[in-house]
Order: sequence, then structure tokens, then C-alpha cells
Amino acid sequence: MAGSIVNSIALVFSIFAMILYYLSYRGYKNTINYARLAYHAMTMLVIVSSTLLLYFILTHQFQYDYVYNYSNQDLPVGYLIATFWAGQEGSFMLWLFMAAIIGVFLQNYSEKRDDLEPRVMAVYSLVTSFLLLMVSPLMKNPFALLWHHDTFIEVKNVAQMYQSLPFLGNYIYGEGQGPFYVKVSSDFVANLNLAGVELNQFIMKGKGLNPLLQNFWMQIHPPILFAGFSLAGVPFTFALAALMKNDYKDWIRQSFPWLLACGGVLGLGIMMGGYWAYGVLGWGGYWAWDPVENSSLVPWIVAVAAIHTMLVQKRSQKKGSGPGKFARTNLILSILTFVLVLYSTFLTRSGILGDASVHSFASPGYLVYYSLLAGVLIFLGTGVGMILWRWKYLTEQANINDEGLMSREQSLFTSAVILGASALIVLVGTSAPIFGRSVDISFYDQMHIPLGIIIGILNGLSLKLKWKNTRREDILKGIAIPAGITAVVVISAVLFAGVDKIMMILLLTGAVFSLVVNTEIMIKIMRGGKQMVGAYVAHIGLALFIVGVIGSAAFSKETQVDLVKGQVSEVLGQKVVFRGLEQFYDFGTKYYANIEMITQDDRMAKPVMYIAEFNQGLMREPDILNGWVSDFYITPLSFDDGSQQSGTGSVHDMVPGGTTEAEGTTIKYKDFIAPDMAAMSAGTAFRMGIIVDVTKDGKTVTKEVTFSGGGGGQPVYETVSVPEFGIKMQIAGLEPGSRKAKLSVAPEGGNLTPAKKQEVLTIQASIKPLVNFVWAGVIIMTLGFFLSTSRRLKESYAQRKAAAAQQD
Amino acid sequence: MNKKYMIGGGIIVVFLGIMIYLFTQSNIGYENDLTKVINSQKMVRATGAWVKEKDWEYKNSQFIFYMKDEKGTEMKVIYNGAMPNNFEHATSVVVTGKYQQGVFHAKDILTKCPSKYQDAEAAKKS
Repeated sequence: MAGSIVNSIALVFSIFAMILYYLSYRGYKNTINYARLAYHAMTMLVIVSSTLLLYFILTHQFQYDYVYNYSNQDLPVGYLIATFWAGQEGSFMLWLFMAAIIGVFLQNYSEKRDDLEPRVMAVYSLVTSFLLLMVSPLMKNPFALLWHHDTFIEVKNVAQMYQSLPFLGNYIYGEGQGPFYVKVSSDFVANLNLAGVELNQFIMKGKGLNPLLQNFWMQIHPPILFAGFSLAGVPFTFALAALMKNDYKDWIRQSFPWLLACGGVLGLGIMMGGYWAYGVLGWGGYWAWDPVENSSLVPWIVAVAAIHTMLVQKRSQKKGSGPGKFARTNLILSILTFVLVLYSTFLTRSGILGDASVHSFASPGYLVYYSLLAGVLIFLGTGVGMILWRWKYLTEQANINDEGLMSREQSLFTSAVILGASALIVLVGTSAPIFGRSVDISFYDQMHIPLGIIIGILNGLSLKLKWKNTRREDILKGIAIPAGITAVVVISAVLFAGVDKIMMILLLTGAVFSLVVNTEIMIKIMRGGKQMVGAYVAHIGLALFIVGVIGSAAFSKETQVDLVKGQVSEVLGQKVVFRGLEQFYDFGTKYYANIEMITQDDRMAKPVMYIAEFNQGLMREPDILNGWVSDFYITPLSFDDGSQQSGTGSVHDMVPGGTTEAEGTTIKYKDFIAPDMAAMSAGTAFRMGIIVDVTKDGKTVTKEVTFSGGGGGQPVYETVSVPEFGIKMQIAGLEPGSRKAKLSVAPEGGNLTPAKKQEVLTIQASIKPLVNFVWAGVIIMTLGFFLSTSRRLKESYAQRKAAAAQQD
Repeated sequence: MNKKYMIGGGIIVVFLGIMIYLFTQSNIGYENDLTKVINSQKMVRATGAWVKEKDWEYKNSQFIFYMKDEKGTEMKVIYNGAMPNNFEHATSVVVTGKYQQGVFHAKDILTKCPSKYQDAEAAKKS
């Protein structure tokens, strides 16, 4: 209850902040302090309600729907904290929390930049108001009580001491062997309270957290992603603030560090999701073009496109008094970045992707559906409306002096166009489920390979271009050495690393070229002022990333094999032995499958299998043997303990000279075939067995039944058929000392009972070359974003000081 | 300058053309009528329920099972891989692939598990 109230009051304050800031913008003098107060009060309340939610989770207050559905007492604190964002309600709450706090910094930032604050904060409070509306009691309220709709709880999760409550019988559902459920409705809770029992005492156990989310990366991926989502709201805010004032000069410098931070944080958050998929989901990859992944990628690409064209506008402002080049493009891209974040939210949370994605949320109901849709349309409508309103001015002021084709400006614009094309492809593919269709992964791959080639080559080339225009001979001179190095690297990759597909050769060429050029420039910069290095670092990261993608996607090898316990198998060039399952306890009984890699210094791969109590499903966790060049990736698929391997035949104990009856025949143990003792003790191959007389209807056949062992590997038991009598035989056991034998006999068409039951583990194994380049690329790219952010922050600070100095 | 825009526009038109072409080539529709799935040669995403009463098996790295639609039409599905996580508890199954020579060859299986609401409904019915 308390949480719902706090959130509702916060919503009121957020709306107040929005109105008061708007009034301040319209010229009211005494509203600004109240506006600030309202915004900060809202933030405080959001911090309070977030703390409350966390407190309820940590103290297992199962009377809350959210706490009951996503957590239980068995979870360690780290995972309990992660349940905060395991569901729709909590992840909205997390987003809100991040957005509110970022807003405090934004307020501080804009307050120091003359008349910026009222405009920026009025728009930003619209964002927080939208998020607060989504977690309000009418929508996805994380503080909804368990009985806000009837909930059925399995009786085994009810505390023993309350199972005898007299009125309980009226609320029990289920038949036969069960399971039986208690219907928790509002009148049930009323009865419970009359009996003096609290609901969270009555419920012993929550539903728990989906085991796929019980992972370190799920503790940090969502907070970073939602910080990125929140940061995406800031460039939107600055764009609208610029449109409100109809002044497009300063907003570029003001918005730029925020946009760069958004690019860095959002990109990192997205790829952390990829790393989680690689390490946990067990299908061997980090990116599946899943609609949920895609929908957060699209705004990131658009943000990156905006970064490129904003550079041009900033540069072109140095001359003339107009807004500069690409003002309209930058406004549109900044607005789209946030609208696409909202669109992503709509896709993943409206239930539209239900059938198309593995991890979208279930349908949330009509009210939420239309509110999400309305959110997208309102923010899009506001942005587009404002641009149209200012269109005439923007067109008149557009910088018409045109640069040459071979100019830095042109190439930056071209790169934004390429990024736009990429965003459009992903957007179209991801939106297909709205029309009841979905695209194959090949759609994304086929479209992105050419774009990747262009990006690499264009990036390398454009850095050799000067602003305005570049003479042809300068370009040729500039790229000669990098092109030469690229040629050497690519040719050796073709010759020695087996890169043979033409598209992959081109993609590699682009990536290496970009890598060489960026490294060259970075080294030059590092000798002088280190300020400018960010962009080059980011591009080096991208180039390494592309190299990693080529290796891990186009040259990955995959196979599925059955490993028999104790037997050496060759898997993708590795000699491996399955050493058996090992039980361990990790909030439930789980099993390691111990797989020894003989050729990799006896490293042991330990993929995990277990039945999750959460959904009674078989869970499989891969294990990855990381190497410098490539990862060896193993996912357990199934395990056969051999108990089903019983045959249709029978096993007979035999002593020399004795007889036995089997399958209508009489079998006499005639003689023992002794092994070569020298070979046996030397560990080389030997053969041993028994000679038997098989008699049926007066006819006798003499057979040798043997097995061979030694020489490494498992013994081989020979199957001996007696077609005359329709039977077959095999040694099931033999003691050389006493010469006692076990003989397995079965009808010709039947299965012999094997000498030893075999444990078989089926695994999916793959080799992922250069996957480390993917991670390294992402980390370096993120570093580049942050270096640029810091540089542009300083620039914006310098601009502010200059402006202040002018006023004095 | 006009020339530049012409070339740029041309490239964009070609790009959109390729995208639309590839989109029509690679998009897959959902089908919950298995009769239509059986009679079509196209790649589809067939939705239905697992026929648990009928035998399923996993051998030679293939998972073979039967699924049926609401009208009761059944078809045999072969999937090159193991039984997916949570399969036993799926309320519905979405398989992507083609129907060929009497069997549906799935290259992907998606399972939908009962949500808490469906749990409640199941309990109500009894």
C-alpha cells in the first residue's frame, strides 16, 4: 500500500514539476524554485518507493504480487536484488529510478546554462511522468497486492501450521492426485485476517526467480540498459528545448556529451545482454536478432548516426550565424532516439511479440497496451509537431554552401545514412510480428554484410579526408600505407587462416583498413594532446568487433555428439572424455557433466544440467573453455544413465563344463580361451573368452565367444550369432582366475543385455574463433564513447564559462 | 550538386528495393491450421500443441514428436537437436520449418509455457 501511495504522490509532483517548469519558460518569475522543489521531491519519492520495493523483496513480503511471483527465500541476496527487475513492473521501476536520478544531474547541468533549465526540465519531467504513470496503481504497479486478482497458490507452499484453518476448505481447488491450490481472493484474505494470520506468514514460499536470470550478468545488464534508456531521453529533451526557443546554436554542444554517454552506456548494456546469452542460454551465440535484442539496438544505431551528423553541425557553426548544417537531421535523429526507445518498450511489453520472441513479457492487458502505444505516439507527435512548427525557419536557415564529395562533412553524413539504413532494416524486421509475420535471421545478415563492408572502408577513408574538400592526390597519399598493410593482413588471412568467402574477405578488408587508419591517427594524437582520441578508440573497437563477428559467426564449427562415459571421442579436433556426472548443491540439486579435454592440458569442462524447481524444466548451462584464439563451447543436451538399456535376452552364470538352458537351446561351457598374459600385463591388446557347444533338437554347433581388451579404450564384446537356432550370444563378464563366465543370450532379433550399462551424454559442441575480439571490441568502443563524453563535457563547460564571461 | 542528389537518391531506391525483396523472401508467416501447413511447401511457423499421448523419441541427435492443432489435425515433427528446455510443460509449441515427405522438418522450436494466469485458469476448470 505504502509503495503505491508514494508512487502516486511522485506522479503528482512530476506533473507539477512539468507545469511549473513550463510556466517558468513562459516567463513566470516565481515558479522556478517551486519547479525545482517539485522535481527533487519527485526524485526523493522515487528513491523511497524503490527502496521499499527492494525491502519487500529482501524481507519476503509475499502479500505483494510482485514479490510472490518473482522471488523466494532460497535466493541469495545478489539474486534477490536482481528480482527487482525480473518482471515488467520492477523493470519499469528500475527505469524510473535511473531516469529520476539522471534528471537531478540534468537539472544541475542545465541550471548553469542561462535560460536552458525551464525548457529542458519541462520536457524531461514529461518523461518521468510517463514512467510514473506506467507504475501507477492503474498500470504495472509493483506494489499490487497478491489478491488484486484471484491467485492460485499450490498447497505445498502454504505454511504447515495454517493448513488446518477451518475455512481453508472453501478455497481449495484441484482434483484427484492434485496438485491442489488455494484460491487467494480478497474475501479469503479477509477470513485469514479474522483468524489473525498475515498472508505472508500463510505463504511459505514464493514462486522464485527464473533460473535463466540467476546469473551475474542479469544483476548488472538491466541497470546499465535502463540507464542507457534514461540517457536517451536527454538528447530528446535538448532537441525539444532548442525547438521551443527556436535557437539551434548552443544545443549541439550542450546535448553532445549526453548523447555520447547514451551511446556508450546503451551499447554496453546491449552487449552485456549478448554476453549473458552466450554464457547462459547455451545456443552458442551472443546475438540472435531476437526482436527484444533488436528493439534496443535500433535506438542505439540512431544515436550513433546522430553523433556523426552533430559533429558536422558543430563544425559548420564556426562560420556564419545560422544553426549550421544538418540542423533538421540532428533534431529528427535526437527525437527518434528516444521515440525508438519507447517503441522498443511498446514492442517488448505489449505482448505483441508473444509468439516471436523467447523473452518478451506476456500480454499486460488493454489499458497498459494502449498506454504504451499512446506514449510512443505522444512523444513522436510532440517531436514531429515541433519540427513542423519550426520547419520554415529551419529551411530558410539551412546552410546551403555545399561541400565537395571528398570532404569530411560528406563522409560523416554518408556514415549517418548507412547507419540509418541499418536501423531501418532492423526496425522493419523487428516490427514484422505486428503484422503477424516474422523475418528469418538471414534477412538481417544478408543486409548487414554489405553495410559492414561500407562502414569499414568509409570509416578508414573518411578519416583521411579534410573538412570542406580534399585533393585526390592527398587522399591517395594518405591511404597508401594503410591500404598496403590491409592488403598484407587480408592476403595472409586468405592464405593461412582459410578465409575464403568473398563477402567475408571484403568485410575483413573494411575492418582491417579502418583498424589500421584509426590506430595510425590514434598514435599521432597520443603524442600530442590526448583530448581527441575518443572517436578513434571507438572506431578501433568497432573494427575489432567486426573481425570478431567474422570469426565467430562465419567460421564457427558446430557438432552434436554422444559421449560414452570413459570413452575417448574426437570432437571438432579435440580429444575429449566424459568422466561422468557429479552432483552438487546450488539452491537445488544440480549436476556437473565432467568433460575432460585431453588435448587442452587436461582442462575440465563442467557444463551443468538440472531440473529447475521454478518450472520443472530441464535446464542446461553451457561451459566455455576460453582460449586466446577461440572458445570451445559445450552445451549438454541430454543424459542417458543406461538404465533403459536392458535387453530382451537373459544372462547366465557359467562354470567350465557346466550347461545352461537358454532360448530353447542347451549351452555347454566347453573350454576357456586364455588371454595372452604378456599382452595383458603390458597393456596391449588381448583377446579372451569361452568355447561353447550349443545344442537344439539333437544338433550341436560349436562357437567361440570372446571379447578383446587392452590397448587403451573400452573392451569390445563380440556378438556371436547362431543363425541355425535363431539366437545370439555375447560375453557379459569373465573372471580369468576362476574362469567363471557370464553369458548373455538373446533371440536373433532381440537386444543382448550389455556387459556394462553405458552412461551416455549428448552434447552440442562448437568452436568460436576470435570471439574474444567481439568482447574486446565492445569494451574498447565503450571506452571510446566515454573518452569522447569527457572531452565534450569539458568543451561544454568551456562554452559555458565563455558565455558567462561575455555577460559580465 | 543536383548530380550528387540524383546518385544518392538512386542508391537509396536500390537499397529499399533490395530490402523489400529480401523481406518478402525471408519473412515467415504464422499458421495454426496444420492442414494448411501440410499442404504448403513454404517455410512456416506452425503453432499447435504437443501430443503427449503419442510416442516421442530422441535418437541419432534427432528429436521426433507429434503436434496437433485445435481441430485435431496431427503431424509428425523432426527436429535436429535435443528436446528444448521446458518442453514437457509447454502449453503450445511453435515450430519453424517446412513440411516435406510426410514430416515437418523443424529448424527451430519455441515453447510457450503457462503463465501464472493460465495456471489459475487451469485450476478453475477442475
